[in-house]
Amino acid sequence: MPEAVASPRTAERPPAPPPELLFRRRIRLRRSLPELWRSRELIRTLAEREVRARYKQAFLGASWAVITPIVLMVVFTVFLKRVAKIDTGNVPYPLFSYVGLLPWTFFSTSVNTGGQSLVSNSSLLNKVYCPREVFPVASVFVAGFDAIISTGVLGLLFVIYTFAPKVTSLWVPVLFVLQLGFTVGVTLFLSGIVVYLRDLRQALSILLQLGLFATPVAYGIDGIVPNPFWRPIYCALNPLAAVIDGYRRVVLLGLPPRWELVAPAAVTTVLILFLGYTVFKRLETGFADVA
Amino acid sequence: MSLPKGSIEVDHLWKRFKADRGKAQIRDKVARARSRAAGNKADRGWRWALSDVELKVEPGASVGLFGANGSGKSTLLKVLCGVMYPYAGHVEVSGRIGALIEVSSGMHPELTGRENTYLFGSLLGLPRSVVARRFDEIVAFAEVENAIDRQLKFYSSGMKMRLGFSVAAFLEPQVMLVDEVLAVGDASFQQKCIDRMRAVLNEGTTLVFVSHDLAAIEATCARGMWLHNGLVQIDAPVSDSLGAYRRSIEESAESAQAAGGPLKLLKVEVGGSGDEPPRTQEPLELRFVLESELDEQGLLFTGVSEGTASPIFLITRAVSLTPGQIEVRATIDHLPLPRGRFYLWLGIARKGRGQNLPWQPVTRFDVEGGLLDQGPQGIVRLAPVHVAVEWETARP
Repeated sequence: MPEAVASPRTAERPPAPPPELLFRRRIRLRRSLPELWRSRELIRTLAEREVRARYKQAFLGASWAVITPIVLMVVFTVFLKRVAKIDTGNVPYPLFSYVGLLPWTFFSTSVNTGGQSLVSNSSLLNKVYCPREVFPVASVFVAGFDAIISTGVLGLLFVIYTFAPKVTSLWVPVLFVLQLGFTVGVTLFLSGIVVYLRDLRQALSILLQLGLFATPVAYGIDGIVPNPFWRPIYCALNPLAAVIDGYRRVVLLGLPPRWELVAPAAVTTVLILFLGYTVFKRLETGFADVA
Repeated sequence: MSLPKGSIEVDHLWKRFKADRGKAQIRDKVARARSRAAGNKADRGWRWALSDVELKVEPGASVGLFGANGSGKSTLLKVLCGVMYPYAGHVEVSGRIGALIEVSSGMHPELTGRENTYLFGSLLGLPRSVVARRFDEIVAFAEVENAIDRQLKFYSSGMKMRLGFSVAAFLEPQVMLVDEVLAVGDASFQQKCIDRMRAVLNEGTTLVFVSHDLAAIEATCARGMWLHNGLVQIDAPVSDSLGAYRRSIEESAESAQAAGGPLKLLKVEVGGSGDEPPRTQEPLELRFVLESELDEQGLLFTGVSEGTASPIFLITRAVSLTPGQIEVRATIDHLPLPRGRFYLWLGIARKGRGQNLPWQPVTRFDVEGGLLDQGPQGIVRLAPVHVAVEWETARP
């Protein structure tokens, strides 16, 4: 080897890279979505890990999943019903509120744990490559696992109140897609932002508390927005309202969903999903730098 | 896309970090925005972690990365495995990457070793069936058979690292990135890891290996890259670049030499017999001139090293220090060093405790003569001692 190679380069540090070299991240849904699909096994492992780690140490185990909606239902039934006159359309109030609580709990658990998922998984984020959206998506799956357990309780309530779900329940999958899309969109959006604004985590739980009352969970949509003219706008702002209202109509009342409410909610959901994913991908390049 | 599997191509890579770290709070962002709005430009504090790094690796090649702490080695590795994104430049790594960036990276303390193995496998993008096929091998290599169903938080850090390394090494990556993690393992496992890395290399995997253990780099890598402050100092065959790195450590140690003190070294001379330079298996003469303000007994110890503070051999001699100049000479009849550059270290201990002259490098010298026989790369690192030997083979 010639001596020249072995002597250290003494060149001064260049001040900055030329601007034409700057790295630009292109966001291509056509490439990132298949990548997400290829990572499905990872999502499953992560969700499984979350579920196991959560319930391995907890004394009450899987029953925690049910406790939150049940306690809220009891609280609503015992207190709220006495204070306010709530029109449930001949449906027992516990059933009425529980059907609202299921999608709400799913949403709030997803947003709460999914929003923090990147921060709490920073040990992975920093050291292993994977499409980053697997973390919030896995949190949504964990919340879904909880939701399945608490849906079992709903079956129990049907037996207790000798109330059979109506045939129109066949609409449930349509509403569920809407619910899932909105939840994933919000979760992605918030999880990306929380990495940069850590104290948003604390704010998140307060916002979710407020959201519980801004959504027709304890009461019907007509109780919040009496004027039918404003209801579509309300549902565009809060798609969960349309979803919950829809569930109650199809499962408990035997009526089809109110499409004039579902349609604006669907539009918002698509927008939120798109926005959430784009923002997430935009922010993704810096996650490992700050996490 | 056009690159063959297992190759790495890094072009003009730049990466920077915020100089004020760890302030991802809303009020900090607000404060920053306000100061920027007030026309304060000084707020944009960035620190370059990597500047203009170039690295091209062919499939199956091996590169060792070394340099002082904070020189950007781990950042480069993180950019390579896709965890971090470059600020500028182009990075392409083709093929499946097995990365071990840190002990227990990608592992969860609440899960058992078994569950973690599968988790790590899926992080590498492998289906469960592949992990299941290699599972026994992984566990056997990591020597954690008895603990595989124990939660990871009850593992020792050595066990975690062993499991992590085995998963990364056995799941057939096309590019393997290993950061300074072997240090956690005990000596026998370190050797095992180095053997495994060499085996993986033989299977055609590309290896990028970061370590402070220069001998381990020498044993595994054909090419060495020295990073300093985010700049590539040297990218050359491993012996050349390690040599340059060792010399630079030496020089900085020399310049850090303490002056002053009650005992000063005025002069050092190293030479062979007569005016000849030092030669292998021939006499070596050392001469020190000291100036002392002390009047006491001391123990002079001097040794030869390859650059580090640990000497290859050490010779000592009791000296009585008296105020004024003292000359100490030593002759080594048969110099047991092969051809190369060596460093002379010197220290003087006080009778009882402490040191009058701290252990420090005092000079360097070149030895001429016998080159060591090159053994298979990595089985023995370049041995620093030259032994005169008579071989005989016969049929009994």
